Parts: sequence; C-alpha cells; structure tokens
Amino acid sequence: MRQCIVRYQPCIQRTQKEPRFKNLISSSRLFHGFKMYTLMSGFYRYLTQKDEFCVVILGLDNAGKTTYLDAAKASKVKGHKRAESSRVTSTVGLNVGSIDMNGVLLQFWDLGGQTELQMLWDKYYAECHAVIYVIDSHDRERIEESKEAFDKMIRNEILAEAPLLVLANKQDLPDCMGVREVKPIFNQSAHLIGSRDCMVMPVSALTGEGIAEGINWLVDCLKRNVDSRPPRNNENR
Amino acid sequence: MGGIMSFLKNLMGGREMRILILGLDGAGKTTILYRLQVGEVVTTIPTIGFNVEQVTYKNLTFQVWDLGGQTSIRPYWRCYYANTDAIIYVVDSADRERLSISKTELVTMLQEDELRNAILVVLANKQDMEGAMSVSEIHTALGLDNLRTRTFQIFKTSALKGEGLDQAMQFLSDALTNRK
Repeated sequence: MRQCIVRYQPCIQRTQKEPRFKNLISSSRLFHGFKMYTLMSGFYRYLTQKDEFCVVILGLDNAGKTTYLDAAKASKVKGHKRAESSRVTSTVGLNVGSIDMNGVLLQFWDLGGQTELQMLWDKYYAECHAVIYVIDSHDRERIEESKEAFDKMIRNEILAEAPLLVLANKQDLPDCMGVREVKPIFNQSAHLIGSRDCMVMPVSALTGEGIAEGINWLVDCLKRNVDSRPPRNNENR
Repeated sequence: MGGIMSFLKNLMGGREMRILILGLDGAGKTTILYRLQVGEVVTTIPTIGFNVEQVTYKNLTFQVWDLGGQTSIRPYWRCYYANTDAIIYVVDSADRERLSISKTELVTMLQEDELRNAILVVLANKQDMEGAMSVSEIHTALGLDNLRTRTFQIFKTSALKGEGLDQAMQFLSDALTNRK
C-alpha cells in the first residue's frame, strides 16, 4: 500500500510538472522569436527610413518655377521625361515633386507666383525646411517687384532658420543679368537674411545648367540645419 | 476583330483615361461636360444619376463622368472612385454661402484611398457672373492650402462663354501623359 503511494507520487508530480515545463520552453521560444522579429523589423525600418525635407519654390509669375522643378526632377530622377517648356501653364495651385537623394527625400512645393497668389505662400512656411527663390534674370523691369516679394518673404519670422537658395534663372537668354548684377540688388536685404544659409546661383531651368549644384548645396544645408528644422520621417506620416 | 483592334489600341495608347466631374448641384458640371464634348451650351436639367461621354482632346480620349451633385445623391460619388485618373471639381464662384459645403465634400473626397493618385483640377466656374470670387479666395475657402502631397491646379472658367476650359483640358492632358 505504501509502496504504491511512493510509486505513484512522483508520477503525479511529473505529470503536473511536465506540461508546465513544456509551456515554459515554448513560450520562451516564442519570446525569443518575437524579440528577433522586432529587432529585424526595427533594423529594416532603420535601413529604409528616409529623412524627408520639404522645399518650397517661390518667385514671381513667369520666373520659371515650374520649369525649374521639372529640370530638378530631370537632373536627379532617372527616367524622368522633361515636359515641353512651351506647354507649361502658369501655376494656380500647387505642383508637387519629390526627389530621392541617397537617403534623403526632398519634397518640392511649387506655388503660383501671381500677385494675387503670393498671399498664399505663408501657408507653407511652417512646414517647409528650405526656400528656393527663383528670379527671372532677363526681366529687368520686374526685378524690383521681385525684390519686394522677396523681402516680404524673408521678413517672416517662421522662415528665420530655413536655408535660402536664390536662383538667377534664364541664364540661357542673351543679355540677361548675371549673378554679379542680381546679387547686389538682393544683398540690400542682407540684414533681413541674417545668419541663415543663403546662396545666389546662376541657373538655366530650360537647359538644366546649374540645377544639380544648387540641389546638392541645399541638401548639405538641410542636413546641417536638422537641429532647428528636424526632418519628417516617412513613418510619421 | 474587335478584340484585336482593342488589343492594338491598348498597345499603342494605353487605356482611355477616366475623369470624374464632381461638385455641388448647380455648379455647372453637366454644362461643362457637354461644352467639352460638343463645344456648345446645351440646356440641362438637374442630373439625377450620371452622364458619361467620351471626350477627345488632342489625340487623347477621356471617359468623362458627370455625377449628380444634389445632397441626397452625393454619397453615391464614392461608387465611381475606383480607377479614376483625374477629378474635375467644379465650384460655383458666385455662390459664397455654399462654399463651405463644397469644401467639406472636397475634403472628404480627397481622403479616399482610391483617389490617392488622382490629379485634381478645380474649376472656379461662373466667372462671367458679377461678384464672382477670385482664385485666391476660392483657394483658401476650399482649404486647398492644406494639401501637401497632391498636384492640383485651379482654373477660372465660364462654361457659358467657354472660357478657361481649353487651358484646363490642356493641363489635364499634359499632367496625365507626364504621369506615366
């Protein structure tokens, strides 16, 4: 009788213990698997995640903003076919273009430049990381008007830290103003520009000359400026 | 034979683009559709249901759907969203009171996942009327400045006089051909 109990006792214990032990093993395997999954997916996300910067393209109407955006895409995006320049209509609204540059995603907002539409520009200031200001270097009559719109734009405090790329466009036209002529005019506002990164460059959106250099400069500035204007991550969207 | 023809057509020019014309009732959607198709002003009655026409513009064929805009039938717009390449959103520029309703409809429409890649063209219609709103007024009133990821363009039009529609169609055909 006693033997019987002794013999059965461990047996009962084992049957009780065994499944518990098994559970433990399987759950820890599960746990490890889960940890591995989060690790891998986190790593994958780290690899694929891109910093996204928004760049707003401003300037008077007919300065060549939309053509510039097209040229920028042509210079940096493989397989982009350029639109016929004669068919570009004056923008009333928004053109969106994005360029992927090794790990950095640039999102361009090309806005309309007509006087009536200039008051819509400031709606985009808070979210943009940089400004590209396009000038028609061939239009001497409107350079003052362009300067006024420029001044109004840089006076806005929201843009205080944003890098600024000023483009003297239409350099392909004969007797256009060179950077030497354009720069002094806009340098009058140097006190408003302050300490932000600023660069004046000659470009031709039509031929694509100088486009890539400008964008490379901008990307460097954006990376330098991440503390004051942190990028958007595509996860947060 | 028809099968071969359509196969060849697909090979050459791709499928025909699908465009929706939307907007509140009385904005002028049906007038615009027939202005685009036959180039004339037709007398219209309020659309209950839809009109669909094939519109050819510079070698491109569009299948244009004009959906009724009355409050009770607006919920059915979403049944037509799939495979839409572009949206023409028509606004009555003289109707200031209902612009906020127009905005709400536009915003809900643009949130649809099926329309994520659709190009948006806003027509500020009835510019021939007195007191018509300017483009920038309509831009702000429709809340278009909140759009960040979509290319859109506003055109001043007058369907009655046929103004502005040509530019809008040219923009649309360029945008649709460049998108591919």
